[in-house]
Parts: sequence; structure tokens; C-alpha cells
Amino acid sequence: MTLPRVLFVTGKGGTGKSTVAAALAIALSRRRPTTLADLDRRRSAAALVGASAENSTAVRVTDSLDVVALTPRAELEAFIERIVPIRAISRRMLRSRTFGYVTAALPGLEAFLLLERLRIMGGDAALKDRYLVIDAPASGSAVELLSVSSGVKGIAPAGTLNRLADSIGSFLGDATRFGAIITMTPEDLAVREALETAATIRERLGIVTVAAMMNCVPDLLFDTSELAATSPLGGHARLAVRRNAAHEQAALVMAQFADAGLPTISLPMMFTPAIGPGELEKLGRVLDARLLDR
Amino acid sequence: MKPREHPKQSAHTKPLDLHAQSLVICLGPGGVGKTTISAALAVRAAMLGCAVDVMTVDPAPRLLDALGLAPDSSEPVEVQLDGIRVPRRGGASKRGRLRALRLDPKRTFDSIVARYAQSDAARDAILENRIYRSLSGALAGVADYMAMEKLLELSANPATDLLVLDTPPATEAIDFLDAPRRLLELLNSRAAVLLGAPGGLFRRQLRMVDVAARAVLAAFDRVTGLNLLSDVRSFVRSFDGMYEGFSARAARAQEKLRGQDTAIVIVTTAESSRIAQAREFIVALEHAGLRVAAIVVNRVLAELPDAAELSSAPIAPSLKRKLKRNLADYAALKARQEISLDALRESLPAGAALMFAPDLGREPRTIADLAEIGRSLRAG
Repeated sequence: MTLPRVLFVTGKGGTGKSTVAAALAIALSRRRPTTLADLDRRRSAAALVGASAENSTAVRVTDSLDVVALTPRAELEAFIERIVPIRAISRRMLRSRTFGYVTAALPGLEAFLLLERLRIMGGDAALKDRYLVIDAPASGSAVELLSVSSGVKGIAPAGTLNRLADSIGSFLGDATRFGAIITMTPEDLAVREALETAATIRERLGIVTVAAMMNCVPDLLFDTSELAATSPLGGHARLAVRRNAAHEQAALVMAQFADAGLPTISLPMMFTPAIGPGELEKLGRVLDARLLDR
Repeated sequence: MKPREHPKQSAHTKPLDLHAQSLVICLGPGGVGKTTISAALAVRAAMLGCAVDVMTVDPAPRLLDALGLAPDSSEPVEVQLDGIRVPRRGGASKRGRLRALRLDPKRTFDSIVARYAQSDAARDAILENRIYRSLSGALAGVADYMAMEKLLELSANPATDLLVLDTPPATEAIDFLDAPRRLLELLNSRAAVLLGAPGGLFRRQLRMVDVAARAVLAAFDRVTGLNLLSDVRSFVRSFDGMYEGFSARAARAQEKLRGQDTAIVIVTTAESSRIAQAREFIVALEHAGLRVAAIVVNRVLAELPDAAELSSAPIAPSLKRKLKRNLADYAALKARQEISLDALRESLPAGAALMFAPDLGREPRTIADLAEIGRSLRAG
């Protein structure tokens, strides 16, 4: 299938969102030049691919993979510097507490500027035949972020901002340019949040979910008779049941998602003491086979 | 894995004494099970005979069911502690009890505005204001502030021994605790002067940056057609006169947070990224002069079974191999947890208890599950 230029990776906290974003960026960069944009304050996706990304400046990780860190605050600063071209004044203004309160009272301005920046980067990616993978905030905040442009349209009935909001809206709703990837684990809460997120962004913003990622799925090790045979073994039996239960829960959810018309990819649990380059490589290979080649 | 020395550990083995607290605030990053731990601590305290209120922020549907909460219960609801032993306290007639409620930030904010507004017109002006409406709805920080407000309201109830507070997921610990101060500063700041001042009148008193800030807003309004400047101005103006009320509340909230019987509890999981976040929280809190009473690590894997048991077990060799592999797999995950937990132990603040909540291997669905988690909280 053809993937959109921009892949927006979100999911409930703790479902491996940054790991999936990093593995996806690595896998995509084998096919085409790719940029990984880290919107997470903690920069964990950037750290996973081995980059300490600075604000707004792309860092080259390999010949075909760049990493850039974006923050709403930096976008606001860039915006102010455009409006107030005298550096000394714009700098002092940004530092002033007064201005902090004023921007706090202008809800969504920073987020709006961040979305506009993503739209521009998306256009650039199309022009240069690149992919853009975004390690977005966790789903609650991500939905807020994506909804900002439609919110702005509601309160700014005319003018430049309205036109910007329009173009952001059509960018987000264009399945060739923008798509979401939603991570989850085989747990009720994570699954429910993934379903809700997919439904909300589709209904409210027309955003297509490219795939849901069922992360941390252990392979099925025991069949029913083996499970029965382990039952006198106490702790070992519980551990075997636990592994199988997680696998079966994942399979069940994936069937539900398939019924709901939401493509879902299962990613293996990494039974290793750390998530490092080797684990990303493995996840990347799975993504390559199940997402890029399908 | 080789057992390690934890020189600091002995000082922290004393678990959090829930009897001695009147307020427990659970803080932590998103997705660590803060709500579950808050509820488990509350059930545990009720089992110890306390009269407990627990306020949750965004509970999972199953947790709502477990607590018997309707999705919109913003007033306390008595939780049925079916099948859980709740002792009578001190031989008297008073028994442990548990009430639960959900925080509704928007409704709480509206009610505060109604309480402090000096006239109906002032109240309506605020409630209708575009800035207020977006501010009170989704904006981060408002939920924090409102949780704090509700806390003061609930802790004023003399029939309650302990209030357990779940908080909205935060990127920074201080966001929540700092919310009253930030809102106050907004209302009392030069921003109010700047925005409230009629054009030209106080211009000489304003510093250049303020003039520039206003110029930017004006430019922004021109470019966008938003007319935000006047909205912000009327928002700040309409809060005029409410400052006293807010100020008194915020001071009381600060006092409550620093009280001897208030325990700040950081909830995290054993994942390295969450532990790193928890450590940042601790540093930020200490910086603000707030003491962390306990750190609860949620979903800690239980001790693994003994590999030696397998060699003598009367089962097929192929199954034995699989069980060995399964054990090795979970041992690797446990080793991953141990690495992060060691990092946490290294940076544990003085006097803070470290507690582990077990990974049940399933999601808590009933009061009995919450009671099990509460009971199994152990020193880490």
C-alpha cells in the first residue's frame, strides 16, 4: 500500500509509542530518506535512534535518517520573531512574565503554530520524496493538538488564521499526506483508548488511521494440553498462563479491530533486559513486512 | 540475578502509614496506573478503619464499575465494600467507609466563578467569555487547579479521616501543585494592568516589553481577525474583585499541601522512561520545598518460580524446555525492571518510603482486586 508522507504515531502512555516511532523511522529510512520529528518533551524516540536532537534543528543519524525535536514553545518564539523583527525586543518580550501569562490566556496558539509547522514539513517531504514520522504526544494530548485547527476556525471566522486553519484541516484530512498510527498493548484500557482515538480523529477531523499497533504481544508457547500438564507446577503454571492469556487477548482484540475495519499489526514482546538498537531492528523488520509490504 | 546491596534501603523499608495522613496526593506520569493506585490506597485505608474519600480524574470504565461510580458522579458516592473486612475502629460504632467521586473540572470552575463573582452580571460575563470557555474546558492546568479546589472543599468535611486524590497526568509534577499560584499570578499580574489599561492611560508606566507584548497581540489580532485582545482584556477585567477569594483559597491550598498530615505519593512503573520521569518529579518537588512521602512503583513483576523445580517435575521434556524458555523470557523482563528500580533506589529522597504494587497479570476490575493491590503493597 502507499503510505502517507506523514505518519503521526500516538497511543496511550506506556504502550511503546516512542519505540514504535523510532523502529518505524528506521524501517522507512531503508526505503526512502526519512525524518523523525520528536514532539515529546523527553525526546525518547530521538534518544532511541541515537540522536540528541536540538530544538528545530535537524540532526543527521544516518545518510537517510534525520531527527528533529519540535516544541510548541519554539514555534511560538519563531512566530513572535517574525512579527517583531527587532531581536532585542522580541527576546526580552519572550522572557517577560507578562507575555507568558498573555500567551497562556491565548489557548491553543502554540499548538496551532506547531501544527502549521508539521503541515509545512509535510509539504516539504512530498516535494523531496521523503517520509516524516512524528513521535506525537500521548493520545489525549494528541487529539487536543490535532483539534486545535478546527477550534481556531470556530473562533476566527475570517482572515489569515482562518485560511491557515483551512489548509491545516485539508492537510490532516488528506490520506495521501497524513495518517495516524495508534499504539496499544493487550490491555483493556489501552485498547479502548486506541479505538476512541481512531474514532475521534476520523469523525472530528477526517484523519485516517493507517494502522493500530498491538505492541508487546508474546508468541504463543503452550497449547491447551500443555497448559493443563503444567497446572501442578504452581509459579511456572501461572507464568505459562500469563503468557498465553496476553497472546490470546491480543488475538481477540485484533479480530475486533479487523471487524471494525481498522488494520492492526501485531508487534512481538521483546523479552530482553533493555530496548536497544537490536530490538529496534527486530521491530523494524516486522513493520517492514507487515506495514510496508502489505 | 545476583542480589545487590542497597545501602539506603533499610532507611526506607517503613511503609507509608495511612492512619497518620489526612490527605494523600498521587502524582505521576500518564499511563502508570495512578487512578488504580489511588483507589487501592483508599480501599486499604478503609480496610484499616478510616473514613475515606477518593477523588479520581479519569478512571477506566471497569474501575468506575468497581467503585460503583456513574460516569458523571461529581458528588461523593458510597462504595460497597462487599466481601472485604472493614474493622470497627476503637471498639466504637465508627467503621471504615469509602466514598468515591470523579472530578469535573469545568463544573468545579463554574461553581467557583459563581461563588466569587460580585454580581450575576460579572458571573455571566465570565462564563460567556470565549477565553474562559476554552480555558476552562480543555486547557491543561485548569483541571489541576480545580482538583485543588475540590480538595479544599472535601477536606473541610470533619466526618472524613482521609482524602485520597488522584491527579491529572502531568508532564511536570509541579504543574499540579503549582496551579493555584499560577492562576493567581495571571489574575494579579502586570498582564492585568497591561490588558485592562485603556489605551494610552498608563503607557508611561509600562515597560517596553509590555508595550511590545501589546503590539504583538494587536498585530496578531489584525492578522487573524480574532479580536483576542479585547477578549483577554475583558476576561481579566471580569475577574476584578474576585482576586481576594481566589487568593485566600490558594493560600489555604498551599498550607494544606505542606501540612504534617499530607503525604505526596509519586506513582510510576518500573519502565526506565517512567522512572526517569518520576525522578524528575522528585527533584522538582524538592526544589519547591515539598516532601515526597512515598514512591509507589506499580506493576512490579512478582518473584519468579525456581528453575530447579522444573528439573524434577514429571512432565514431557519438550514442555520442560518451553517452561524453561518462558522462565528465561520473564527473567529478562524482570532484569529490565531491576535495572530501573536500582536507578530509583539510588536517588530516593531521604525519608521517602519505596513501595511496590504487584503486577496482577490482569487489570483490576473489582473492589476485591483493588483490595488485593492495597494489601500487597510492600516495601521495595
